[in-house]
Amino acid sequence: MTKNSVDPSVLPDTAFQTIQPNKTPRLGGQGITVIIIFAITIAMLLVFRWISPTLSWWSQTSTVLYLSSFLVFCAFGQGLVIMVGGLDLSIASNITLGGVLSASFMNGSNENFALLLIAILAICALVGVINGIGVSVFRVPPFIMTMAVALIVYSTCLGATLGTPGGYAAPALKAFMGGGLLGIPSPIWVLVTFAVLGTVVQSYSTFGRQLSAVGSNPLAARLAGLPGKRITTAAYAISATSAGMTGVLLTGYADGATLRMGDAFLLPSIAAVVVGGSSILGGRGLFLGTVGGALLLTTLSTMLSATGLEEGWKTIVEGVVILAALIALRDQAFATLQNWFGPRR
Amino acid sequence: MVSVSTGAGRLRNASALQNMFDGPVPIICIFLIMAAIYASVLPSALSQYSIESLFNNSLPLMLAAAGATFVILHGGFDLSVAGVISLANVVVAVTPVSGPEGAALNLVSVLAIGLLVGAINGFFVAYMRIQAIAVTLATMIICKGAALLILGAPGGKVPDFMVNQLTGSLFGMLPVAIIIAAAVIVFWSVYRRTNTGRALLAIGQDDHAAALSGIAVAKVRFSSFLWAGAFYALAGYMLAAQTSTGNPNAGDPFLLLCFAGVALGGTAFGGGRGGVTASLFGAATLMLMQKVLFALGVSSFYTGVVQGVIMIVAVLMMPMMRAVTQSSRGNE
Repeated sequence: MTKNSVDPSVLPDTAFQTIQPNKTPRLGGQGITVIIIFAITIAMLLVFRWISPTLSWWSQTSTVLYLSSFLVFCAFGQGLVIMVGGLDLSIASNITLGGVLSASFMNGSNENFALLLIAILAICALVGVINGIGVSVFRVPPFIMTMAVALIVYSTCLGATLGTPGGYAAPALKAFMGGGLLGIPSPIWVLVTFAVLGTVVQSYSTFGRQLSAVGSNPLAARLAGLPGKRITTAAYAISATSAGMTGVLLTGYADGATLRMGDAFLLPSIAAVVVGGSSILGGRGLFLGTVGGALLLTTLSTMLSATGLEEGWKTIVEGVVILAALIALRDQAFATLQNWFGPRR
Repeated sequence: MVSVSTGAGRLRNASALQNMFDGPVPIICIFLIMAAIYASVLPSALSQYSIESLFNNSLPLMLAAAGATFVILHGGFDLSVAGVISLANVVVAVTPVSGPEGAALNLVSVLAIGLLVGAINGFFVAYMRIQAIAVTLATMIICKGAALLILGAPGGKVPDFMVNQLTGSLFGMLPVAIIIAAAVIVFWSVYRRTNTGRALLAIGQDDHAAALSGIAVAKVRFSSFLWAGAFYALAGYMLAAQTSTGNPNAGDPFLLLCFAGVALGGTAFGGGRGGVTASLFGAATLMLMQKVLFALGVSSFYTGVVQGVIMIVAVLMMPMMRAVTQSSRGNE
């Protein structure tokens, strides 16, 4: 991740050929990852029906989609940061920050809702900008920078609320999280919109291609004239904003904030991105893969909590299923499938 | 052996002499500065008892960071640290065999567990070529589940022999924890000079070049996960001796802290630069920092703010120190 400090004269010639701003996502390896992930998730939902037959298939699916929307939102930002060759460990703290701010600012009233929302997201974005400047300008390793900022943000929330965050979500926010359109809960509509927008940003926009270029070869990107520092900082800012948004939505869902509300999302946000086929080293990844990864992880944990298994066994099964999914998503598996679908590389 | 085709200059850090000064020196300086602050704020910190308890507290994290370093050096990432520590911790707590035989038996069984988990990680990462962070996340979850099955809630009993002997001092003056840490440093300084040790760093710098120059990349990667697993198990074993009880979630706090220790030591994520000695001091610095903040009377609500700022400042100071140590050695 921090290999970009090499002297250009010592780079092998190949360094200048390896820049791969998002290959057109036809049915390449990554496209197949997405298909396999969604197939596994749908298969699991069908098994789920068999585990708890009392609920209808749609109500189970809609619960899973509803719950996974939170993970998808924060995994989007994590995915952009990973794409640019970093890692954002401040996701959990930023979710808490978004939640604590919205509960205390809104305090159960609809007054100035839009203004407060913008203020909350701006504060979160500022945290992300600090992360980005630390990583890109001061060259602090992303792991240390985002972890230190996470500590600072969390501890500020702790000190400011004296351990017990007060306040409630705005009624409008609660109504939004509880409402729906055409029988489908609104967070699921947001999820679908977000999946489309995220895909456009990550794979089809100039910004997405720039992220990919900086992530796969920072030096080549710099030589090509890309403003690497600004692009990196933007990725961290978007990550912090999307985590803050997750916090706002969670506050609307639970009508209040807790200091530990973000903790359950840190590792899953990384896992969703990586299981979704992105490289942890940066430069490569599809947002639909991340969405699939998030759906898979949420389906798995929702399903396991519906079984009557002992806690230890639930945990073991979760780990084994993730491992099995990873094996199914191996490159060799891609090669086989690519032969079936006809080689397009 | 490794100098073929990697390009001149990129292997600067691989030379043995360079590593000795380039690697752990900056973090050792930061550790000593922190220790000096601690001793000046709290003069009793220099007593035999406080030094002993400081190192007893720090050793599990130091060992975990040492293990993680093996994997990070070749460009991998190992989250299973949290799972293996929890698992080793509960295994010791439910095996009530007293005396030295009990301690030895426990040591052998936790090492076997650590090596097994390491072998599973290594197999999937090195031979099946699945991303390390994803594989080790899965094995971490599985280990945590296994720990919950062995001990559902905090409890159990660690044999008195382990608690007394492993957290005490030898000849009444040399803490066992320091001896173990020193042994790890000696081990690393030997390992680093072996073919496998050199290969580990070479793979981290450029795995294609390493493979082209005849290094068995997969085999070296596999072995690094074995070492990592063994060190995590040892960390869990020492944690059990230190807390004298078992906890199925004992490993959780180690997850991020151990990587912070590695990064603070100056080991590069992505591989190729750094070492175990630096990670030991990085982890020790993190633990010492908490003591210093407590001694300074920083409000417990805001210790996180200070900790975060210190971590960033320490990392920013390191290139400066590296520049100083390098220029004092002439033409490098």
